[in-house]
Amino acid sequence: MAKPALILVGADKGGVGKTTVARTLLDYFTAHHVPTRAFDSESPRGTLKRFHGDAADVVDATSVADQMRIIDTLSTTDASVTVVDVRAGLLSPTLRSLRDIGFLDAVKKGQITFVIFHILGSSIASLNEIEETAPFTADAKYFLVKNFINNTSFFEWDQATHASYFKKLKDAVVLTIPKLNEMAYEQVELASVPFLTFVANKNPKGDTANYSFVLRGYVRHWLGNVWAEYDRVKLLDIIDTGGAAVTGQRAQTANRS
Amino acid sequence: MPQQTPLYIIAAQHPRVGKTLIARLLIEYLRFGGNRPLLACDLDPREPTLATYFPDLVSTVDITDTRGQMALFDRLIADNWRTTVIDLGYGLSEQFFDVMAEIGFEREARRRSIEPIVLFITDSAPITARGYAKLLQRLPQTTFVPVHNEAASFMFIPQDFPPSRPECGVIRIPRLSPIVRGLIDRPGFSFGGYMANQPGGPTEVHTWIGAIFREFRELELKLLIGTLESSLRGVARQTASRAP
Repeated sequence: MAKPALILVGADKGGVGKTTVARTLLDYFTAHHVPTRAFDSESPRGTLKRFHGDAADVVDATSVADQMRIIDTLSTTDASVTVVDVRAGLLSPTLRSLRDIGFLDAVKKGQITFVIFHILGSSIASLNEIEETAPFTADAKYFLVKNFINNTSFFEWDQATHASYFKKLKDAVVLTIPKLNEMAYEQVELASVPFLTFVANKNPKGDTANYSFVLRGYVRHWLGNVWAEYDRVKLLDIIDTGGAAVTGQRAQTANRS
Repeated sequence: MPQQTPLYIIAAQHPRVGKTLIARLLIEYLRFGGNRPLLACDLDPREPTLATYFPDLVSTVDITDTRGQMALFDRLIADNWRTTVIDLGYGLSEQFFDVMAEIGFEREARRRSIEPIVLFITDSAPITARGYAKLLQRLPQTTFVPVHNEAASFMFIPQDFPPSRPECGVIRIPRLSPIVRGLIDRPGFSFGGYMANQPGGPTEVHTWIGAIFREFRELELKLLIGTLESSLRGVARQTASRAP
């Protein structure tokens, strides 16, 4: 039995691109044939659910019943990986809950793989979240995700400020999500399909669609770059896929589809 | 083997080296040679000179924004049955080839039997040779044919501008005497029309146009022969691998 993996994608600040990153992760695992399930805590609507209807369920992360639905089933589900798109403002409370129920102890004992994708915006408020999150990340694989949804610089022009946030946690790894062409992003929004499906020019029913070749090209190129980051940090090696992952299949999968 | 539809892209590193002139000559050659379906695009929305010569044929497209890029590349993919000529406006080469590489146009073009052929107008500046070498590296499935326009650049160093397919060689555009140069730049002047009408026997302009049309015809033949040879080599390899 493969060791279950829980991936939290979250931030306390809103509008930093949490769901976008969660979507790229689901596409990445799909392309590598890793059985994955997802929970969308944007209750009751669920943005992730709109794109990955088959894989994602909407949950209320603050309710005990839904916490049980996610955590208690980690070792019994067929999915090797559980991705949770944590609603804005709920990252720190969710981490606290995980500590309180003993989940972090199980991680420490090596029973569960725990990965956190902390999505950052270019504001001091967003960067201050790193400090709040730090107490819960000791035994997790903790990724600080710079999401370049706009032409932001994450204070790289001021090395002291930049270092004070990004070099404080020695085990944190910084990931960079490049900017996607705005029109391409909007077209995928309209299409309401996973990025991979859009690249393959398919509609939600799986029929051939009529998406712009240029916009598909931009999405393919961008997704390839995002996956190259996941390859760089050896994400597939971090999670135990129980041999399900197609090894050697790299970010270029997106280009082949 | 499906027939390849050529997509000619007229490019240069510097302005005023004869891009639009070569685009005009090529369009008229393609029209002169028969009724093949044609499409032409002028990518200089500020000064669409090519469009003024062929208002019924040329679309002006601004590729500096995504909408314009969609208008161009989506159409090229959809109209894969039409021979296309693109006149890249000055300063747009880099952006055009960036987009082409980023959206994976080469691969899709090959899937749709479109053959991109860049007619690259050379000059003697070292930066031009460097830019040409980078393009060759960046777009390995595109055919690059150097064009030496003698009116724009006296020198041509073959080592600086190797054609991506050696059989294609270099297209040479001879210098035209300044006296008659004004004639071909007149609005509404047609190279094909001029060639069809020779009441007093051939003139310098006839000879000049004829030489350039011959260069284009030879290029087409070389491309065709190259494609056939490569296809035959593929068949021979397949046959050899099946042999007991």
